Amino acid sequence: MVPEEITAILQVFLFPGFSFLFSLAFFVEWLDRKLVAKFQNRYGPLHVGPKGILQPFADFIKLLSKEDITPAMADRVPFIAMPLLMLTLAMTPLFCIPINGCSALVSFEGDLIVVMFIMTLIALLLFAGAWVSTNRFSTVGGIRAGLQMFGYEIPLNIVMIGPAIGAGSLSISEIIKWQSQGRWFIITQPLGFAILTICLLAHLQVVPFDIPEAETEIVSGWLVEFSGKKLALIRLARNFKLILAASLMTSLYMGGTSGLWQPNPLTYFIKLVVCVFILSNLRALFARFRIDQFLAGVWRYLTPLALLQISIVEVLAW
Amino acid sequence: MKTIKIPFGPQHPALEEPINFIFEVEEERVVNVKPRLGYIHRGIEKLAENRTYHQNVYLIERICGICSFAHTTCYTQAVEELLGIDIPERAKFIRTITAEMERVQNHYLWLGLTAKETGFETLFMYAWRDRETILEVLEMISGKRVNYGMNTIGGVRRDILETMTEQIEDKLSHLEDRAQYYKKICTKEQTILKRTVGVGILRPRDALSLCAVGPTLRASGIPRDVRADDPYAAYDEVPFKVVTYKRCDVASRILVRIDEILESINIIRYALENMPKGPIQVKVPQRVPKGEAVSQVEAPRGENIHYLKSDGSDKPVRLKVRAPTLANLPPLCKMLIDVNIADIPVVIAGIDPCIACAERVMLVDTKTKKRRIWSGDKLWRYSCEWYRKK
Amino acid sequence: MAMEDNLIKNLIKKPITLRFPYERAQSVERMRGKVTWKIEKCIGCTLCAKTCPSEAIELIGEGRNAEITYHVGRCLFCGECVDICPTKTIETTKEFELAFTQPKDMILEFRRTKRDRESSSEE
Repeated sequence: MVPEEITAILQVFLFPGFSFLFSLAFFVEWLDRKLVAKFQNRYGPLHVGPKGILQPFADFIKLLSKEDITPAMADRVPFIAMPLLMLTLAMTPLFCIPINGCSALVSFEGDLIVVMFIMTLIALLLFAGAWVSTNRFSTVGGIRAGLQMFGYEIPLNIVMIGPAIGAGSLSISEIIKWQSQGRWFIITQPLGFAILTICLLAHLQVVPFDIPEAETEIVSGWLVEFSGKKLALIRLARNFKLILAASLMTSLYMGGTSGLWQPNPLTYFIKLVVCVFILSNLRALFARFRIDQFLAGVWRYLTPLALLQISIVEVLAW
Repeated sequence: MKTIKIPFGPQHPALEEPINFIFEVEEERVVNVKPRLGYIHRGIEKLAENRTYHQNVYLIERICGICSFAHTTCYTQAVEELLGIDIPERAKFIRTITAEMERVQNHYLWLGLTAKETGFETLFMYAWRDRETILEVLEMISGKRVNYGMNTIGGVRRDILETMTEQIEDKLSHLEDRAQYYKKICTKEQTILKRTVGVGILRPRDALSLCAVGPTLRASGIPRDVRADDPYAAYDEVPFKVVTYKRCDVASRILVRIDEILESINIIRYALENMPKGPIQVKVPQRVPKGEAVSQVEAPRGENIHYLKSDGSDKPVRLKVRAPTLANLPPLCKMLIDVNIADIPVVIAGIDPCIACAERVMLVDTKTKKRRIWSGDKLWRYSCEWYRKK
Repeated sequence: MAMEDNLIKNLIKKPITLRFPYERAQSVERMRGKVTWKIEKCIGCTLCAKTCPSEAIELIGEGRNAEITYHVGRCLFCGECVDICPTKTIETTKEFELAFTQPKDMILEFRRTKRDRESSSEE
């Protein structure tokens, strides 16, 4: 019999651990770019690998080889540490999402709260990274990132707690187990799913809410001074955030790995692709909002609707 | 409150051509703006003095890539006025048709760019895809997609044949459908409305006193259009409507331009049906008699003025170009006060800037940060000195 | 939400981009690319060199012995020389893929053959 330690190490490093997550990150970026291109009536990545599937990997390698400039006035240590921290923080919550079977690699009571906490930390880290860059454009971008966090944090956390109340547990693996025996939460809490999608778009900084990074206004906003290896790591972290967002949508509302058969990774994969399709569709459909319009809209519409949804869940749980 | 200075350009993803603005910003609202030109000055007015009138047509065409036909129409009209000749009727109609096609092409390009400034990439891709249709028509008539080379002194160089009319009609209907679709989008899509309604206001009184031209002026409710006020080419024989909207913001500028696309398609259809037969060119002498001439046309961006002075030889003495964007820059600086940083690219794109047409030289003293402008005489004397020292 | 119908339709349609160089756009009849000379017909009237707006044509020799040096890098592809040539020596081709690797490759020379020169000098 293979000892447990060897299985655990293989699981952490190969599947569903590091190697699987890295390749999934590149795959998800390819899928997103290809879908947005198809909506816009053009090809997207085409030549590198069959149908361009190796293009994100090629971009990563190219960025690693470019010149890495640290501005003279920036604080060196935080500036260099920030991309590494962001990559680590983006990858950590993925160990709490069940991919193989019904329970994740790391699952305990309350891991949903840990995931929410790490997502908030990432947003704060953005603000810190913008501040130490000491560039006018990145300062404006960082301020906008902080303001945007004020807007979407509360509805996001409220609708993530909704399924937890419905399932009676604060662990993502338990939520999935409950959904495999009961009904998926997307049918009983559709309003929560819609609000989760919108708030995740704001968390990922994707059009229509890519305000801190608005390319045509402030030239990439908070990441304008990062180049070379740091930019490669930041872009990889962004892909991990996309996987995390789509995984949360599937695990909390669509049943995660459970489905018609026993819990298996293929069901998870199909649902992941569906959620990335929804996010890419919304990305190609809208223009960008202004920061004051975003804050006004969120506090006027999203937060009351989220509170309404959670009160309905509470009442039904009685 | 403390203000920070944000430089915008000359290299910026929102700008197509290099121009520098220095914004004084107080917590996301603009308090003051200073423009600075001169990054793409090519000395065209001086180059024009060393070439014959006929060779100058090709130089003038390349002042700007997108409104090139308007510039050559203006120039050849000035030369024809100095020569005192009248071009054939068919040539006038062909000039009208090509000018309107260029207007359609320019407005589709502008729609895509404005959508990109608001972050709406999908509309950008769609508008530029539909622009390919009108470029195919222009290539069918003239042989090239930009810088057509259709105008010459005394008429036009290529004729529109009967066989082409059917294909042109197909493509025009396709373009008309797409323009109607974009009009529906721009009046119904909430994200576009939120970014463009009430942004970049230019009151009619300011528009008149700061000399705005083109769709920027017509979006403030003032119906001024060179094609209607001072008809040239065949515009006095073709019926059309001058489009105005009253809301004075970027949203009405979008609607003015989309309506102008629909009007232009109607003008092209009418002109193709009622074009008289005949020659398309008259022979002109090489030497132009002494005199001065001013001509104006309605370029897609506004009113374009050329001034030409000749002294009897075959090369001009002085050519001066006043492009529409130069006239729209003071209203732009007025529009940009009290606007969010996020709206800056949208407002700048709203006037349809073509900085390449509008270049002027300005001397900046880097130590004292003062600016000076030189007159023509001083520049001429400085250049003679410089060549003598070489 | 207004553009959603167009987005869904575009998922099924083929993309509009042409994959150059495997797919090329159709060239039209009046397209103006590089010009070329049939040097036997040239009579050396120098009209093409005088009318070129960017001095891309140089004549060497005179009369019936004239030979042409053509600077492709300066050419505007305007077609003035084609229109003005009295013997229709100059023709427009549809060649537009004109990237060269050396600057001296951009100067094309149209020379007469020896037999041509001898026969013209006999006249």
